[in-house]
Amino acid sequence: MLNLLPPLNDHNLPWMDTIHPIVVHFVIAMALIAFVFDGIGVISRKPQLFEVSFWNLLFATGAIFVAIIFGQVEAGLAAPYGASRDILDIHTTIGWSLGGVLSLLTGWRYVLRNRDPQTLPATFVGAGAAVSALIVVQMILGDRLIWIYGLHTVKVVAAMREGLI
Amino acid sequence: MVPALLAMVAPLLFKPLALAYEPESSPIDQIASNLGANGLPYALPIHPNLVHLTIGLFVIAIVFDVAGALYPLEKRVFRFLALPITRGGFHDVGWYNLLACCLITFFTVAAGFYEMLTAVPLPGVTSTFGLGSMTTMLWHGVGGVLLLAIITAMTVWRGFQRYAWRRDMGRQVQWLYLAVGMVMFAVMGLHGTLGAQMAAEFGVHITADQLLQAGADLRTALP
Repeated sequence: MLNLLPPLNDHNLPWMDTIHPIVVHFVIAMALIAFVFDGIGVISRKPQLFEVSFWNLLFATGAIFVAIIFGQVEAGLAAPYGASRDILDIHTTIGWSLGGVLSLLTGWRYVLRNRDPQTLPATFVGAGAAVSALIVVQMILGDRLIWIYGLHTVKVVAAMREGLI
Repeated sequence: MVPALLAMVAPLLFKPLALAYEPESSPIDQIASNLGANGLPYALPIHPNLVHLTIGLFVIAIVFDVAGALYPLEKRVFRFLALPITRGGFHDVGWYNLLACCLITFFTVAAGFYEMLTAVPLPGVTSTFGLGSMTTMLWHGVGGVLLLAIITAMTVWRGFQRYAWRRDMGRQVQWLYLAVGMVMFAVMGLHGTLGAQMAAEFGVHITADQLLQAGADLRTALP
């Protein structure tokens, strides 16, 4: 059975490089900028920006499920060690939760936009702030996996294959 | 006459000047004691996080301007989806996302240069592209400034289209602008891959890679 799986390269991946960190560009950037544009739109009374943040939020929600799929595959091949195992667990849990939370937020926004695209209640901006904070936490956890524990880097994969970690 | 003159001048032109002084050490040594195992005075590098914003905002800006340009083709689909859309809304995303991208990318490049100054790539590594670490860093550094220049120029170009040249038109962008955007996707993809190689292959600013290179046992050094 195992020989049916594609061979893994020196990043311990069946493809050239990690894809998850590329897909998350579109979750992080779009969700955070949606909150920023909402804030600016409310403060400067520029409802035009609400439309911009709606589309960004919708895109972030679509992207997060792609990010989760690649994240699961790459997490399964990451061979975490030490405390990175716990970080990866929390990162996975928050990642799936964010999928639900962003979907809910986008659904709520869809209804608000259908009713009146020119206004945005403060409660929504508040919810956006909370979700943005959660995304930043998730970013820091993901950062720790790569920048501290070096998961999927050539050096760590080599050490893992030699049984050093 | 001329050859004699050349013989006099040539050594001055081509002989390396003797240094008036020898620099004592590489400037990185002046701050080396303040840096962590990852070669930074802080735990997580900043540049790769700002990159999310630069790339995400640029790509989505262009994608939505394409959507705005192709509006006549897609409006039936959106009507079917019960998702109210306006062409102007799509172009608003194209403009404001690019504007945000342009502003943020100055910080992305600044952080990148600071972190490149303290980069210590793993020795003896050749990347998937067949490049050494210095070549990769030079391409990524110079390319980064070039990309910032292009993004800024495109933002100005986009602004003129929005507020002057095409302000009364349904399609707010020129086809050439969208084509340049598409070429930029390819350039950014290549450029981003160089950056990813700095991390995943050359181990720049990755604590675990640097500790392994220093001969540490990760079981104790990074429990």
